[in-house]
Amino acid sequence: MSRRISTFVLPTLALAFLAQTAMAAGEELGALPSPKQGLITGITALVVFAVVFAILAVKVWPVIGKALDERAGKIREEIAAAEAARKQAKDALEMYEKSLAEARAEAQKMLEKTRAQQQALADELRSKADAELAQMRERARRDIEAAKKAALQEIYSQTAAAATSIAGKILRREVNPADQKRLVEESMGELMAMKN
Amino acid sequence: MNHLFAHLSSLVLAAGGPDQHVYNHPFAKTADGLWIWSGNMGNLVLSGVIMVLGGLWVASKVKTGPESQGHDRWITTNRFAHMIEVIAVYLREEVVRPMLHDRTNKFMPFLWTIFFFILVNNILGLIPFLDLQHVVSEDMHHKGLAFLGGTATQNIWVTGVLALIAGLVFNLAAIARLGIGGYFKHMTGGAVFPVSLLLLVIEFVGQVIIKPVALAIRLFANMTAGHILLAVLMGFIGTALTQLGPILAGTVTVVSFAGAVAIMFLELFVAVLQAFVFMFLTTVFISLMDHHDEHGHEHGHDHAHGHEHAHA
Repeated sequence: MSRRISTFVLPTLALAFLAQTAMAAGEELGALPSPKQGLITGITALVVFAVVFAILAVKVWPVIGKALDERAGKIREEIAAAEAARKQAKDALEMYEKSLAEARAEAQKMLEKTRAQQQALADELRSKADAELAQMRERARRDIEAAKKAALQEIYSQTAAAATSIAGKILRREVNPADQKRLVEESMGELMAMKN
Repeated sequence: MNHLFAHLSSLVLAAGGPDQHVYNHPFAKTADGLWIWSGNMGNLVLSGVIMVLGGLWVASKVKTGPESQGHDRWITTNRFAHMIEVIAVYLREEVVRPMLHDRTNKFMPFLWTIFFFILVNNILGLIPFLDLQHVVSEDMHHKGLAFLGGTATQNIWVTGVLALIAGLVFNLAAIARLGIGGYFKHMTGGAVFPVSLLLLVIEFVGQVIIKPVALAIRLFANMTAGHILLAVLMGFIGTALTQLGPILAGTVTVVSFAGAVAIMFLELFVAVLQAFVFMFLTTVFISLMDHHDEHGHEHGHDHAHGHEHAHA
């Protein structure tokens, strides 16, 4: 709508007023100034524009253009750095996760190995303890057996001596040590035979 | 006070026609009637001062600061300077670079200057300096003088000069780009003789006369028409007050005033649009005279844009 107004309506009105102005007498102010009215204004426009352009082209636009380029460069540089940092962080994270997974696997493996070693050690200790226990039991049994045997032997010898003494007294005669020993051995042999 | 009322009533009563408030007024004339100072000249000089001082100030705000400022040195701290920067970036990156490619940085100082020069003058034209002087000075009002005021960009002499400058720039740019032979060869469009000769004449006239004249008239007509429309709407109020009854006159006054306010907003828009259109078309005219093999696609695209805006 605004474009239509500026395209058709406004120029039409302008032309209408141009026609009206042209009809006026004397030095009328019009939309189309005469050379006397507009020449120096035109020259002024040329001079002002030239001066403005000369100053701005040296003092302003290079500064603004440079600042815009520097800013664009800085933004581009920062984006590149941020992307590089992100990639680096991603790589580091991947490496960390990989290391973590490896460490977990290693720890798991070590744990399993330790458990196996513990189990083996426990089994070994248990078997060793069992063996020692069995040996101790056997030793004790043997000691008991030996003690029993010694005690029985002592009993037999005492009994034999007593019997010999009794028998000697009965027989009224002294039994010499060699007889006594022989009698004891015979008695022991009989006793062992009886035991078996 | 009486003078103030007299002038204000003359604004709406349209004594010499409402358009008389719109046109350029003299301030000093030679004996043979040559205007040596006029309101438009005052506006042009004022716009030049604004452009130079404003430009230097904006540049100081936009430029990259010292390293001691850290990251803040990249920031434009002032909002107005930032607005100018945004406009400058938009014109360079979104409007000109897609058309001029490698020649963008070379032409930006001129294109920025012409855009802001027209914009500042268009906006200055919306400020009623002329009428303010007439309100303040009865003598100036009486003699129809103005040291400052009017819209310089609705003066055909001013728009003609700007178009002449633009015409010189886009023709010289074409010769610099294509060489003098290539400049004329480009105008034939690769057609065979005698069609090429016909095209050469048409294109040459278009290149050196029609395009600059179109630029001059477009800016002049758009700026003049809007201001006259404003004056006419205000003139309706004067006519209604003198010739109609109170109820009808009141209605016309309210409607006309509301219309004038609306047109003022439209004028603000047109002030920016026409500055843009002038700069844009100058860029299009520069880009049209380029090697076709390099930017064939963009060239066609620019053609389309150029024609579209030529009707604006």
